[in-house]
Amino acid sequence: MAAARALINVPPKARRGEVIGIKSLISHEMETGFRPNATGQLIPRNIIKEFVCTYNGVEVFRAEFFPAVSANPFVSFTTRATESGTITMTWTGDNGFHASESVAITVE
Amino acid sequence: MTQQHVNRRDFLKRTAASAAAVTLAAPAIAQNTDGRVVVVGGGFAGASCARALKRIDPKISVTLVEASHTFTACPFSNAVIAGLRDLKQQQFDYKKLEGPINVTFEPATRVDTDARTVIIGDAARLPYDRLVLAPGIDIRWDGLPGYDEAAAARMPHAWRAGEQTLLLRKQLEAMDDGGLVVISAPANPFRCPPGPYERASLIAHYLKTRKPKSKLIILDAKDAFSKQGLFLAAWKELYPELIEWVPLSKGGRVTAVDPKSNTLTTEFGSHKAAVANVIPPQKAARIAEAAGVADKTGWCPIDPVTFESKLAPNIHVIGDACIAGGMPKSAFAGNSQAKGCAAALAKLLNGEKPDEPKLINTCYSLVSPDYGISVAGVYTPVNGQWTDVKGAGGVSPAKAPRSDRALEANFANGWFKTITEEAFG
Amino acid sequence: MRPNHCLAALVILCASATSASAIDVAPAGAAACSGCHPASRAVETPFTRLTGRPAAEIVTAMQEFRGGQRPATVMDRIAKGFSDDEIKAIATWYARQKD
Repeated sequence: MAAARALINVPPKARRGEVIGIKSLISHEMETGFRPNATGQLIPRNIIKEFVCTYNGVEVFRAEFFPAVSANPFVSFTTRATESGTITMTWTGDNGFHASESVAITVE
Repeated sequence: MTQQHVNRRDFLKRTAASAAAVTLAAPAIAQNTDGRVVVVGGGFAGASCARALKRIDPKISVTLVEASHTFTACPFSNAVIAGLRDLKQQQFDYKKLEGPINVTFEPATRVDTDARTVIIGDAARLPYDRLVLAPGIDIRWDGLPGYDEAAAARMPHAWRAGEQTLLLRKQLEAMDDGGLVVISAPANPFRCPPGPYERASLIAHYLKTRKPKSKLIILDAKDAFSKQGLFLAAWKELYPELIEWVPLSKGGRVTAVDPKSNTLTTEFGSHKAAVANVIPPQKAARIAEAAGVADKTGWCPIDPVTFESKLAPNIHVIGDACIAGGMPKSAFAGNSQAKGCAAALAKLLNGEKPDEPKLINTCYSLVSPDYGISVAGVYTPVNGQWTDVKGAGGVSPAKAPRSDRALEANFANGWFKTITEEAFG
Repeated sequence: MRPNHCLAALVILCASATSASAIDVAPAGAAACSGCHPASRAVETPFTRLTGRPAAEIVTAMQEFRGGQRPATVMDRIAKGFSDDEIKAIATWYARQKD
């Protein structure tokens, strides 16, 4: 499994109740599983299947991916800042792919 | 089947056009000309087209409409930025064109497609049988939050050569050793695909020689670029640790700029630059939109054989403004298209069928003053689009002796002399 | 439109069908060469001038570039885009051009 590089963007500080924007991007090749190689055999599928974001352990966003997803998928969504703590994003996929990034947020 | 259909349609169109020409172009016939062509835009494409028309058929009356008395060439302007060349070496006038070609130094403001008239300046009207638009590009001032004309005075784009070129050069000269230079490169399509990377190379050359503690970051809205392998290898060899390229998939896309703090913001961070060169998104220049030949992409769809607009009859679009399929937006391509378009126009105005064309593009880039690389392509129309001829073209070999790179740098200089002579005399 | 105009138009169309053209348009690909190979003698460049050069010389050069027998930086890549017939037409046209 190639080393994945994930980028995440979460505001470090927010007011309680504020709607905050969260952005993520992970480097991943994304092979559909439908493409033949030079000898005519199908190249095995290699995609990220699931992306989950938790806020202090509580799931706030989930996305399922399918073979039409682009390489290096970029996900942007919003959530409500409720309390200080940790926001964690996890990507799982074919071939046992697993990557996770966490970032702290201070809510005042 | 399809081919026959196109031929028949072309035939009908031509028959209709020549019938119209007889009624509308009566004065032209009286003056014993083969028709009137107005060319708007005196860059590589426009000037080359005007001259090619006169060369092919001296009986065509040709008028060139250009707002400026001086043309400042973009190719090699990166060398001006890097202090290797004078802006004067980039500048050309139209004296050699005047005489056989009527040159009008006014901006073209509108096109009346029904009356086949170009409106220049405030109200003057220029009638045409065929109009060639070679207007080049405009910056999309609404394309990047924070980047407007005032911002360009602080964070130059230098993507239309002239004052902007000198501004970027002055900023680099004024920068302290150890400063951070940031180049923002746009998504495709844009003028001169290898341009941002040649610029990064030549600025790196300047920094290495004059300000070696400095660093250069390219924030890119793409994951791949022209001559990428050659540039990356050359940077490793010539400018190790100096240039960092941040592609789209590593968060390189610039989403906003702030000229007050000279900061560029990406999806995942921000970079405060000592010198910021923002190459913003672009579109076909304004007159294309005014003439109704630009589509929602901002560029102009054309028929590849004649370069006639797919949106308005009797208007032909060449150079950076047109959608030329596999052909890049380059000076060489513009010049090549200009001559192809001139040949097609000469045929059309003489009541003949234009030949199936074939065009070439060659783009040289300098990684350092004596290190040149190139990309070439041969193109032919396939399914209504300019398409690469398979098996031809491509980039300089990855493994080549430095003597070959020096030879290509020398050829790049030779090319500039030839093409500017052909366009401007 | 007067009848004699129609007749004139027909004559021109027939003429073009038999490829006798009123104007000398360069064959496919030829016009693009002068982006590097100068038509004017006044230009100082390292590129070979094609204007007035014997056709056989141009044909041989192009075929050798295409086949990889002649050292090249960019002409090998360009020559691969042209057939024998196209090369011949380009060479003949340039040979015919005068200074």
